[in-house]
Amino acid sequence: MTSTAQELHPAPTLEPGRTILELKGLEKRYPGTHALKPVDLAFKSGEIHAIVGENGAGKSTLIKLLTGVMPRTSGDVIWEGKPEALATPHEAMALGINAVHQEVVLCRHLTVAANMFLGEENSRYGILQQRAMVKDAQKIIDDLGFDLPAHVVLGDLTIGQQQLIAAARATVRGTKFLIFDEPTAYLTRKEADQLFKLIRRLKGEGVTIIYISHRMEEVFELADRVSVLRDGTLVGTRNIAETNDAELVKMMINRSIEQVYHKEHFTPGAMIVEAKNLSGKGFENVSMSVRAGEIVGLYGLIGAGRSEFVTTLYGRHRKSAGQILWQGKPVQVNSEHDAIRLGMALAPESRRDQGLCLNLPVGLNLNLPIYKRISSNMLISGAKEKTEADRQIAGLRIKTPTRNALASSLSGGNQQKIVIGKWLAHGAKLFIFDEPTVGVDVGTKAEIYRLFGALLSKGAGIILISSYLPEVYELADTLHVFRRGKLVATHGFRTANHEDILTQALAEKQEKLGGQK
Amino acid sequence: MSTEAIAAEKPKRNYNALFGLTLLALLVLLWVILSVATQSFASGNNISNLLRQGSMIAILAVGQTFVIITGGIDLSVGAVVGFATVIAAMLINAGVPVFLAILITLLVGVAIGLFHGFGIVKMGLPPFIITLATLTSLRGIGLLMTNGNSISINNDAFQEFSRSSFVGVPNLFWMVILVGIPAYIFLHHSRWGRYLFSVGSNAEASRLSGVNVQRTIYMAYTLSGLCAAFVGVLLASRIGIGNPTQAEGWELQAIASSVIGGTSLFGAVGSVHGPLLGAFILATINNGANLLNVNAFWQRIITGVLIIVIVYFDGLRRRGK
Repeated sequence: MTSTAQELHPAPTLEPGRTILELKGLEKRYPGTHALKPVDLAFKSGEIHAIVGENGAGKSTLIKLLTGVMPRTSGDVIWEGKPEALATPHEAMALGINAVHQEVVLCRHLTVAANMFLGEENSRYGILQQRAMVKDAQKIIDDLGFDLPAHVVLGDLTIGQQQLIAAARATVRGTKFLIFDEPTAYLTRKEADQLFKLIRRLKGEGVTIIYISHRMEEVFELADRVSVLRDGTLVGTRNIAETNDAELVKMMINRSIEQVYHKEHFTPGAMIVEAKNLSGKGFENVSMSVRAGEIVGLYGLIGAGRSEFVTTLYGRHRKSAGQILWQGKPVQVNSEHDAIRLGMALAPESRRDQGLCLNLPVGLNLNLPIYKRISSNMLISGAKEKTEADRQIAGLRIKTPTRNALASSLSGGNQQKIVIGKWLAHGAKLFIFDEPTVGVDVGTKAEIYRLFGALLSKGAGIILISSYLPEVYELADTLHVFRRGKLVATHGFRTANHEDILTQALAEKQEKLGGQK
Repeated sequence: MSTEAIAAEKPKRNYNALFGLTLLALLVLLWVILSVATQSFASGNNISNLLRQGSMIAILAVGQTFVIITGGIDLSVGAVVGFATVIAAMLINAGVPVFLAILITLLVGVAIGLFHGFGIVKMGLPPFIITLATLTSLRGIGLLMTNGNSISINNDAFQEFSRSSFVGVPNLFWMVILVGIPAYIFLHHSRWGRYLFSVGSNAEASRLSGVNVQRTIYMAYTLSGLCAAFVGVLLASRIGIGNPTQAEGWELQAIASSVIGGTSLFGAVGSVHGPLLGAFILATINNGANLLNVNAFWQRIITGVLIIVIVYFDGLRRRGK
């Protein structure tokens, strides 16, 4: 098969449908940037069409054009045979185009039912029919097979559950064309499965699904076709059956997959931290240690106790039993402050909520942990502040016009580099990275892994928490598997296979699920 | 690059300075118009008067700005001013040396600020609530202490201070400079100032980065309390009495000055020169309205409209056209 032939004549999808949306020379320019070069692409009803590409490849631009958030520069959008302006979000929704975003954009203080019908409330003579809405919402949720109550406040659910509600919400609005932007970034495997079920069901009803994800295995699990964007150009579209991981990655980044997980091995040095029979809220009796030059991976489902364990180590929560040794000596870590003073650094999971001051400059964000060092007495040395920030921006390859640009103006991958990179200058001994590559593209991942190597070479140790098995598998010198608050297995570098590790992390949950059915 | 990166192309480097210049231009414009429109505005007497009127609100606004940058609000400052006049008056009349009386009054302001910090950090009360509570309680405590009467201060030297000038500039305005310069260095060139911004932007991220968030909040409210107590001393000197009901509504004027000066009530955006200019713009409008014989009720309306207009245009610009 030749790829050019495929690009010219896309093969019919598994379920041949009619063309619902056609893009002809769709293009977006900003002053100084060509965000999306003319794209020709046709979407069929009842297909799941994955779109992959690095951050900044033009995926978000494409979504914004399709959902009417931004006007296009030129080109035509043909919806069911008719050209459409698609100039406002309202217009897009009226046509039946909806989107589910990576970060849930719903009202956290309202109930699940209120969110489901937000803007389309059921009211009689101006009075909300609350009970009826809860009932209807519950029926929709039950139909979709989600085990969630409709009357609770949305904010009380986990992020994953909220994401499911956001998806369910989009299905009740006469949607014909539904865009998912990284929907599984914060989902557990079980939640993701529920979401996939929902997506397949919509597909069966003839809805067109656009699925954007950095997770290749999901693309292969779900999609009928996949389109690859790189630098604002549509590189190609493939039938999923006729392509593979390696080809797509190559199309995306012009680089092979081995270069992504670039693992450097160092001889483990002195003991940095040791947890002995540590127990606390959400985990019990965990013993482990980290040496200089070593990456210790913690794998498990969300809620398995990994994050709770490290936040306790970091002094956020009180331990209920056990002991922490720092460089061989027993220590009390009662606050983040204590932890930072000892030489720990934590790059948190949720970069928007915990990692960044979004409406402040990049430079300030990078320097935040080291202001003590770059100021004498109380006054900040302006020169040091500038050189430190610029050195970091160059070293981390953060794409920003200046150090004074606001952090909110950067792309997700570049923001993540700040969250991680700000600790480089701090000179901590132990780095804790909680899901460092969620929602980050392959190219940025490679750069973040390279940073790990840089930290290790300076004699630091790393605790790497990830729900993405290949990541911990390819990088961790020691891999601990968590399940339901317990450390259930420990492996060396690549000494176990994926299936075993997955089983160890899942076992009990699967039994439980099996028992329920 | 993605759409987000585009917005970054226009660095907001000199934003603060630019906004400050715009405010300054507005102030100068007002002065020019009033000089032409009235005979008395440009007189030395009136200018001194205007500087005196604006000075106290200006100092309050600086303290208020520290608090607003952290994402909080201090509604108590007007009440603290009134309370401080009572403390200062009582101490001076009791024969306490003036400098010691001033010091103790300032310490009372610090204590009130620390209490606010305690309420917010330790008791978990919203800033709006805890400072609203002090606003009403302090007026009550002051009234109890004075039985509802005014206390005349019998110390001429103390009162002389606020009426005198130094090299032609009213002493009260010198006090603005005395507060403004350290405040500027503190906010823009010290790490504590940086922490005020970072806490206002994202307290969680700041804490994880090793910033002592609690201490930062204590500091902001303490400084606001200190500024308010200092203004209380100045007011006592100016009117020669201690009266707990003085400075009614000054907290709103301080907040208005701060907001006109470009401070964002959502936190993490603000400066020192902005609120100072804001305070003097308000003072000029009031002063000019008096000279033009505009009904005093209109002054309040004008102030309200001005807040809407300035914040609206500021918002437009922030969003980047």
